[in-house]
Amino acid sequence: MNKGFAARLQLAGSYGFLVSLLVIVVFPFYWMTVTSFKGEEQMRSLVSMFWPSPVVTDNYRHLLGKTEFVAWFGNSVIVSVSSTFLATAIGTIGAYALARLKFLGRAFMSSAVLITYLVPPSILFIPLYAQIRTLGLADSLGGLIAAYPSFTIPFVTWLLMGYFESIPVELEEAAMIDGATRFGAFRRIILPLAAPGVLAAGLYAFTQSWNEFLYALVFITNVKLRTLPVGLSSFITGDVYGWGYLMAGAVLTTLPVIVAYIYLQKYMVEGLTAGSVKG
Amino acid sequence: MSISTVELGLKTALGPKREGPLVGLARMLGPDHRLGFLFILPTVVLVLTLVAYPFCYAIYLSFTRKYVGVPPVFVGFDNYVKLTFDGFFQRAVINSFIFTFGSVTVKLVLGMVMALVLTTGIRWRSFWTGVLLIPWVAPTVVSALNFLWIFDYSLGVLNYMLVKVFHLLPHGVGWLSEPGTAMASVIGVNIWRGFPFFGISFLAGLRAIPAEMYEAAAVDGAGPLLRFRHVTLPGIRNIVIIVMLLSTIWTFNDFQIVYILTRGGPGGATQVIPVFTYEIAFGAQRLGEAIAVALYMLPALAAVIIVLAHYMRKGRGRA
Repeated sequence: MNKGFAARLQLAGSYGFLVSLLVIVVFPFYWMTVTSFKGEEQMRSLVSMFWPSPVVTDNYRHLLGKTEFVAWFGNSVIVSVSSTFLATAIGTIGAYALARLKFLGRAFMSSAVLITYLVPPSILFIPLYAQIRTLGLADSLGGLIAAYPSFTIPFVTWLLMGYFESIPVELEEAAMIDGATRFGAFRRIILPLAAPGVLAAGLYAFTQSWNEFLYALVFITNVKLRTLPVGLSSFITGDVYGWGYLMAGAVLTTLPVIVAYIYLQKYMVEGLTAGSVKG
Repeated sequence: MSISTVELGLKTALGPKREGPLVGLARMLGPDHRLGFLFILPTVVLVLTLVAYPFCYAIYLSFTRKYVGVPPVFVGFDNYVKLTFDGFFQRAVINSFIFTFGSVTVKLVLGMVMALVLTTGIRWRSFWTGVLLIPWVAPTVVSALNFLWIFDYSLGVLNYMLVKVFHLLPHGVGWLSEPGTAMASVIGVNIWRGFPFFGISFLAGLRAIPAEMYEAAAVDGAGPLLRFRHVTLPGIRNIVIIVMLLSTIWTFNDFQIVYILTRGGPGGATQVIPVFTYEIAFGAQRLGEAIAVALYMLPALAAVIIVLAHYMRKGRGRA
């Protein structure tokens, strides 16, 4: 009886902890959404703090009509999608080679990929900037598309190496005994099996590219060529800014990631735990 | 001479000479070297051009006086010596350590509690994990801007709640504009964003511990605390080390949160190394010095990376 009470108390404590964590986690998103539907006047007068009254869409109209937001959104889509495809394609075959194929330098290259994954961008951004300038890619989306694989490829490769290693070798061996080539076995047997992992890796590469700030801040000076993170944050360095449309921008910047995440959460959590920190 | 003797002769004449070294080479290159090299080639090219070369160039630049658009001039250790005695740089180093240590410790504790709670008899576990992971998936710029707005002195919701709703304070606090609270605030945002990664990684580790080990410990009469010490902790030791070191690197190099929230201010109170690097490079245009700022901690960073790489490979090997 005493034990039952203790267990129930523990359970109540657990739920209490989770609920308070939930509030802390969700509140900023709630707050940005609420703010995005408030008028300037309402915000200034601190009335109906936690609910927009009246609900207005001025912020969104201002954001989409009078700022470069739409262009920034487009830039982010172009950069994130292209660099994600690049990183996922290259990372997938690279990971397969490192996880499965036996060739000279494999161990060294696995270590190199891992170390590359750990080298921080705050060390690389200045030399990369110099390099991008020399190549004539400064102030172009091409420069970002070229630079983002520096962090997405090592990540995708490392994550997928774990995934490929978890697929039984016997499957390929059986296919090769049946006459398939090494490449055929990879393409027809292993790749379909690894599809959820590839999807998760691609999603991570996408969110990382969508999120990237430092390179986009440094490489791009043309206002029209900014990506969303830099564009959004540039609102606050301007002389006049309204929290309403800033938060509307924040809502629209979060949406693609959250939608993708809701649909593919299972793969992402699985991929994360299989890849980056399996232990 | 019949054809077969010619063949035989050719084979003995050319065979060992021609095939021998090739077979030896193929053996040295590995049985799958053709497809292996082909598959790894794009990665090698990109890693060399995007990471290895820039990294070496960074080390070279740190020994030069270099401005944007002007060729570098070699100055030896000048940049490093100058930095060692630079008060602003020393402050950035100290701030970086406070920022990193404060963030990582709390993330570790919060993440651990989150993971432990989620392994008890909680309902809707995937709902909780799903929602709690959102700060980690959402774009950092969005989170930073959200908190910039929440922390706003006159119109922000935090001061509103503390003063007007709960009456905990007589007047608002300038969370990001006062030196006393600015560091705590940026650390808080970093924790908010980063703890889910700890939680979810620890959760994965906890679920890999076989239930029989807990049952056996319980049969032996071990209470919850003893079970935590002797079953749980050893079971997730590797993950804890990996996640801690990984987060240490990430946190130490976090640019976005501090840059958007405070730009290192007020009066340098939150100046950390990545933001300082950026300011020297693109505010003052002194690239050589800036890269020396970024590289100053390289020996320490390298040590962390080597230890981390060791544990990550070890984790891999067991999987």
